[in-house]
Amino acid sequence: MEMEERQEKSMNEDVIVTKNLSKTYGKGDLQVKALKETDITIKKGDYIAIIGPSGSGKSTLMNLIGCLDRPSSGKLYIDDTDVYKLKENELARIRREKIGFIFQKYNLIPTLTALENVMLSMGFAGVDSKSRIKKAKKLLDMVELSHRIEHKPSELSGGEQQRVAISRALGNNPTIVLGDEPTGNVDSKSGNKIMEILENINNKGETVIIVTHDPNIAKRASRILRIEDGVVREENV
Amino acid sequence: MFRDNFNLAYKNIKERLSRSVLTLLGISIGIMAIISLMGIGEGMNVAVEGELSSLSDTIIVSVGEGFSIFSPNLDDTGEYLTERDINDLERIPGVKEVNTQLTGMASLSFNGDENTIMTTITGMEIETMNIQYGLEDLYRGSILENGDQSKILIGYDVAYEYFDNDIQIGSRVKINGKKFFVNGIFSKQGMGGVSTNDDLLLLTSRDFQKTTGESNIFIATVSVYDVTEVESMALEIERTINENHGEDDFASATSMSSILDSVQNIMGILQTVLIAIASIALVVASIGIMNTMLTSVMERTREIGIMKAIGGTNKDVMSIFIIEGLLLSLIGGASGIILGIIGSTGVAAALSNMGPGGGGMPLEPVITFTAIALGLSVSMIVGILSSIYPAWKAAKMSPIEAVRYE
Repeated sequence: MEMEERQEKSMNEDVIVTKNLSKTYGKGDLQVKALKETDITIKKGDYIAIIGPSGSGKSTLMNLIGCLDRPSSGKLYIDDTDVYKLKENELARIRREKIGFIFQKYNLIPTLTALENVMLSMGFAGVDSKSRIKKAKKLLDMVELSHRIEHKPSELSGGEQQRVAISRALGNNPTIVLGDEPTGNVDSKSGNKIMEILENINNKGETVIIVTHDPNIAKRASRILRIEDGVVREENV
Repeated sequence: MFRDNFNLAYKNIKERLSRSVLTLLGISIGIMAIISLMGIGEGMNVAVEGELSSLSDTIIVSVGEGFSIFSPNLDDTGEYLTERDINDLERIPGVKEVNTQLTGMASLSFNGDENTIMTTITGMEIETMNIQYGLEDLYRGSILENGDQSKILIGYDVAYEYFDNDIQIGSRVKINGKKFFVNGIFSKQGMGGVSTNDDLLLLTSRDFQKTTGESNIFIATVSVYDVTEVESMALEIERTINENHGEDDFASATSMSSILDSVQNIMGILQTVLIAIASIALVVASIGIMNTMLTSVMERTREIGIMKAIGGTNKDVMSIFIIEGLLLSLIGGASGIILGIIGSTGVAAALSNMGPGGGGMPLEPVITFTAIALGLSVSMIVGILSSIYPAWKAAKMSPIEAVRYE
């Protein structure tokens, strides 16, 4: 009985499960298999670093987990939902509610202020304006940007923009926070700050997955997945 | 969410201000053309109605095909209404008054006998004259009054075109050798009026008979007691005169209200044609909006990818672009309406003062609520239609490809 309970609990704690997940680009002779049949399981609260050389398939895996792209074959379960069976709008709902994506190049909307950028994803989720402003201010306060809320991305430094992007990713309380080289475009001091924020998020129980080529950053994670030529294997921490 | 999408659309328009202004200028010009044409058309309607509706109890009886806006000055056919006709008309129940207009040929000379031309002259009772003409029709001088003798009113062209020297108020002219003093000169009408007075030589019936020795009644003006009976009375009048002359179509009787109808019909057609031409500007404007929106979609590919990556649905993305197109066209439409009101006031003033005599019909543009509502709805429809395709293109983008776009 006790074992069964433990097993069930463990099942419920699997936030991401991939089954034979693969992605091939191009056709015929030009075909490139960016990700080969991959089986990974990620549990709630995991802090995972995905490492590997350029072109090994890190970003491909990240984009598939983030539901930005569809696989060539295989399955992806997020909270037990077979997501690639979903229609486009339902997939958008998963991206909105379950996933917070942080890009290497920040990807803020240039015409909107920091506050408006953070509010945007909450707006897509249908959160009312008052609650959105309150939450966005709180999130920007958490990343120490309370004094910059009315600034546009062009008026912020790279590190500051990335912190706004982290706030935006957390707007809808996602289950999984994905960072594709989140420190790749910022100086080491800002990079450290960003990693501290992500670790704090992980300490609060969120699942954090980052792609990095920096071994020092990877070392801070609880699990490391190394990809080489599209093959994923777990590395001992 | 609408507020956010609106905010995004607004900020994007602001960000690309000069392009946005040029785009909305297109739609603005189209709407301006439509609003000013509608305003002037409506103003013309009101002016014509004002001019003719005071004569709604009036029936014009003439020999031949009848009085119409196509042939306001009837040709002298050599056939005339007779005294018997007039007496019969006066006896028809419901007829208030019958006034006659005499027409004939006469020689007109000014500044000596060598400058003589043959022209048509018109004689009227003072009362009839007062119904048809007022001081506002005159460029110079005054209208004739009861008891006036040997005085005439002349058209603008008679005064300034017929002879080498201009005829002035008080000038002496000779009609069939008899002296007349010019009491008034009509304003230049050109094509602006319903009938043209430019070649008119108008004198009292008495003077007409004295000068020509004839009393050819060319037109009779009948006024009736009951305005609602005016159409049936016109038919009866026609029948009475045709019976007198033993012909089916000797005379025709036309009520002023039927003239008003046909004038309004023609102006309606003219207005529709002009508005249709102006609509071409709107088609061009809508292509402009579509072009701007497509450029905007291309430039913001990455932004679209970001929105989708953070959970925006196809519908969200589509609505952002449609709102943007709508906003552009509504700003364009609203400024077009304002420009249209200013434009129509200008054009109306120009039309009112056309010709050296400042003669044209006094014209005030009438901007109706319908015109404004139409202007706004047309611009809205143009905005939505021309942004559907770009918005659809944006919504269909794959999030990963869009995010990667450099």
